[in-house]
Amino acid sequence: MHHAYIDKFAYQDSPIHCLDARIKFLVTVVFTAVVISLPRTSVSILFCYAVGPFVVLVMGGIPLRFVLKHILYVSPFVLVLALTSPWYDRTAATIVFGPWIWHTTVGWLRCWSILCKFVVTMLALIALISTTRFANLLAGLQRLGVPRLLVIQMGFLYRYIFLLIDSAHHILRARAARSAGGVAFGRGAKFAAAMVGSLFVRSIDTAEHINSAMQARGFDGNWRTINRLQVCVVDYVFVVIAVSFILGLYFFVKPLLG
Amino acid sequence: MVKAIEVENFSYKYPDGTIALNGITLDVEYGERLALIGPNGAGKSTLLLAITGFVRGTGRVVIDGMEITNGNLKKVRSRIGCCLENPEDQLFMPTLFDDVAFGPLNMGLDSQQVKERVNLALAEVGLAGMAERAPHHLSAGQKRAAAIATVLSMSPKIITLDEPDGSLDPRNRDNLVKLLAGLSQTLVIATCNMDFAAAVSDKAAVIDGGRVIAAGPAEQIMSDSKLMTSHGLEVPRKFINGYSATGFSG
Repeated sequence: MHHAYIDKFAYQDSPIHCLDARIKFLVTVVFTAVVISLPRTSVSILFCYAVGPFVVLVMGGIPLRFVLKHILYVSPFVLVLALTSPWYDRTAATIVFGPWIWHTTVGWLRCWSILCKFVVTMLALIALISTTRFANLLAGLQRLGVPRLLVIQMGFLYRYIFLLIDSAHHILRARAARSAGGVAFGRGAKFAAAMVGSLFVRSIDTAEHINSAMQARGFDGNWRTINRLQVCVVDYVFVVIAVSFILGLYFFVKPLLG
Repeated sequence: MVKAIEVENFSYKYPDGTIALNGITLDVEYGERLALIGPNGAGKSTLLLAITGFVRGTGRVVIDGMEITNGNLKKVRSRIGCCLENPEDQLFMPTLFDDVAFGPLNMGLDSQQVKERVNLALAEVGLAGMAERAPHHLSAGQKRAAAIATVLSMSPKIITLDEPDGSLDPRNRDNLVKLLAGLSQTLVIATCNMDFAAAVSDKAAVIDGGRVIAAGPAEQIMSDSKLMTSHGLEVPRKFINGYSATGFSG
């Protein structure tokens, strides 16, 4: 079965793809932290910040359609949060942008701020995931000191989540093939419970097989890997450019835009 | 004289009391290619698990001169590699390199040695240059070959393969036959596919009801139509008189 893997563009070849996973991860974290920490009324500066990940995505050859699709996938959660803001805070506010003046409320400003911050940080996250192989990202996280157990769990999750989804699809297809004319709600709920149970048992079965495969290859509880990541001059250049961009906007452009 | 595998009167019951293996006695010489053939539920996979020390029952299992005990499992498993039925279970790391390197790293080899072993193993199974690929980006045939590479990188003397031809199309199965033919290790292959068994083995053992019914040279065992049909098996095309096989070049 075909799956839209989140790192499907990570195997391309571009200057961005060649950068060290640790560097890209750290820059993304700093970028996200700075964007989130911006005052809720600083909406215009967010458009400037969006330029950074946008350039990375273009240089990495990531189709914008793919990016927008993934932003839309997770947008419902943020939309609920953002669209309720105007109801909570109706304090009047005025926006002055050159000769133009708008009268609105702080709630609406917060709503736009949440949406813009969401889009900008998602752009950065997608830029990271789409230009970094998941294996390298995991290796990078491990080298950065993220607990090994967490990294291993993420690796297993990424490796096996699609197999689990496949199993679920097969069960659903088997049900559809035998449920002519639809299924009553009660029976549907019963089926859902049975499916979850079946998937749970299969997961345990798979886990036991993986454990056997690991033990057969001498696993003794110590997770050993080879570090194949290397920071080069290009990575340092990228850090300088990225940090200059992030801090330059924060300290020099933000005060101008207000 | 030491044999690659010696199983003496080995019996095993599942936790629910069902007898899986009942007094199995079997020898495999170094360099032999043994096909374990038998109907579904005969006990072939359980026997492979017993040989690799995952199932412990009564009787003896001796691998490369070492009787399997709780104390020497790690040493035994450095000499016998096992390929599970489903390669998805065997390939659990994010990249092919990490998967093939997993065993050598656990053996305590240094980085350089591990890299050399990984490159050699991948080249041997025809996956050279694919070390950075994620397992989920491989085809079924490539996954099977990769699973064998994960074992080859540990340079074992013996390799067990459980239904290695499962869900492979004829071309990939033919490639697998060629790959197995090129290996120098002692092989124990459990399969229900008689044509495949005939192509990859020089010795065969019929297993049914947890017992070894017959063991001997592959042609002698697998061309005995009475023996084969009485245990739900069939004579491979290779051993049918006058049949000109076109498949399985192994």
